[in-house]
Amino acid sequence: MSETEAYKQAWLREKQARLAAEELLEVKARDLYLANQQLMEQNQLLKEQQALMIRNEKLATLGTLSAGVAHEINNPLAFVLSNMDSLKRYTGAYNSLLELNTHWQSQNQLPPALAESLTVLIEEQDLEFVAEDIQDLLRDTDEGLIRLRDIVQSLRHFSHGGNSERTLYNLTEGLDSTLKVLQNELKQGINVNCLFEPIPPIHCNPGEMNQVFLNLIMNACQALEQSPEPQIFITTATESGQAQEEIVIRIKDNGCGIPQDKLKSVFDPFFTTKPVGKGTGMGLSIAYGILNEHGGNIIVNSAEGKGTCFEIRLPVEEPQAD
Amino acid sequence: MKGVIFNILEELVIETAGIVAWNSILEKLELKGIYTAGQSYPDEELFALVGEISASLNKPAPEIVGHFGEYLFHQLNQRYPEFTTQQTDLRAFLKSVHDVIHVEVRKLYESPNLPTITCHEPDDNTLVMEYRSPRQLCILAEGLVRGAAEYYKTPIEMTHPVCTHKGADHCDLVIRFL
Repeated sequence: MSETEAYKQAWLREKQARLAAEELLEVKARDLYLANQQLMEQNQLLKEQQALMIRNEKLATLGTLSAGVAHEINNPLAFVLSNMDSLKRYTGAYNSLLELNTHWQSQNQLPPALAESLTVLIEEQDLEFVAEDIQDLLRDTDEGLIRLRDIVQSLRHFSHGGNSERTLYNLTEGLDSTLKVLQNELKQGINVNCLFEPIPPIHCNPGEMNQVFLNLIMNACQALEQSPEPQIFITTATESGQAQEEIVIRIKDNGCGIPQDKLKSVFDPFFTTKPVGKGTGMGLSIAYGILNEHGGNIIVNSAEGKGTCFEIRLPVEEPQAD
Repeated sequence: MKGVIFNILEELVIETAGIVAWNSILEKLELKGIYTAGQSYPDEELFALVGEISASLNKPAPEIVGHFGEYLFHQLNQRYPEFTTQQTDLRAFLKSVHDVIHVEVRKLYESPNLPTITCHEPDDNTLVMEYRSPRQLCILAEGLVRGAAEYYKTPIEMTHPVCTHKGADHCDLVIRFL
C-alpha cells in the first residue's frame, strides 16, 4: 500500500470518527433541549404556585389583622351606638324645656326681667337653630355609625365567618333563593341561564353561603351594566378534584371583565374598582373568607371585554354512618 | 449556514472532482475549510464556494446548487433516516418538512435560520410549497424535493412559477404527482 493510500484510509477513518462524534453531540443536544424544556415548564408551574401561596398567605394575614381591627373598633362602637340612643332621648328632654319656655313667653307668663334674660340667652346661644340642627347632626351621625358597623361586620365575616352554626344544606336551594332575592336587579334585561346538575347537600352555614352567591351575582349584574346582551350563566356540578370529589359552582357573566393587573387583587379587602361610596370592596373578600372557612376555595378567570367567571369549589362530604 | 451543509458539499466535490480540486478551491478562496456540523458559518462562504465550484467545473451556479440539493437530501437522509421512515410517501414527507423536521432541527441547533415553508393542495395531484427565506435558496429546495422524489421512487413534475429572484416576496414550488 502506498503512503498516499494509507493516508486516505486514515482520513476516511477520521471522517467516520467525526461523524460518530457529531451524532453523539446531537443526541446530547436533544436530551439537553428536552430536559431544559421540562425544567422551564416546572419552573413556570412553581412560580405560579409560589404566587398563589404568597397571595393566600397575604389574605390570611389580612384576615387576622382585620379580625383584630374589627374587634378593637367594635367595642367603642358598641358604647357609642348605645350612647347615641341616650343622647337622642336627652335632646328630646332639652327640646321640651325650650318649647315650654317659648310657650310661657308667648303667654306672657314670666316676670319681664326673667323673660328678658331668657330671650338674651336664647338669642346669644342661637338655641332655636341648635334645636333644629341637632336633629340633622344626630341623623348623620347615626348613618355614619351604621356604615361603620357594617364595615366592621364585613371584616369579621372575612376573617372568620361569625356565626358558625352549620346544617345540611343543598346549595342549589341557596342559588334559587338568592336569585329570587335579586329578582329586582335581574329584571333589567339580564338573562339568567341556570344549569343545575344534582349536587349532594353539605354541612355549611346557609346564610353565609347565600351571602357568597349574593355577592357574586350582584357583581355580575354590575359588570353587565354596559352590555348589549347581558347574560349570567350559573352551573352546578360534581367533579373529581385533586384529592376528592368536589362540588363546583360557576357564576359567569359576559360583562366588562376585569383587567389582568387587577385580577390578583379582587379578593383583597377594600379592593374596589367602583367609585368612592359605591362599593366597600369587601364583597369578594367576604366570599373568599366564607369559602375558606368551609374548606373550599374560589378562583376567578376573566377576559377584559368578554366576561368573568367565578368558580367555587367545595369538598363533597363522605356519607356518615349513623 | 450550518457546518453540516459545508461537510456535504465537500463530500460531493471530492466524490465528483477529487480532493485535489477541493483543496485548490479552498486555496483560491483562502478558506480554511474546517467545518463542524453544529456550528454556523457565514452564508457568503457557501455562496463563494458554489461560485468557485461553478467556475472550475464550467457549469452555471444554479445547476450546481440544484444538483447539490439532490445530493444533500440523500446525505441528510443517511444521517437522519427517521424522518423518511416516519412518512410513508413523498407527499406526506414534503408536508412534514416544516412541522416535523424543522422543529427537530431547532432542538439540535440554536438559531438555525430555517426557511418558512407552507404547503397547500389545490387539487389531488398537486402540492404547492410556499418557500420564504432571506437566503433565497429556492433552487436548493428544488434539488432537495427532487432528491426526496427519487428516494420515494415517485415521479413528479416541478415548476417554479413564482420566485423571489423574479421580484416576488416568496417562491412557489408547484409539484405535480404524475
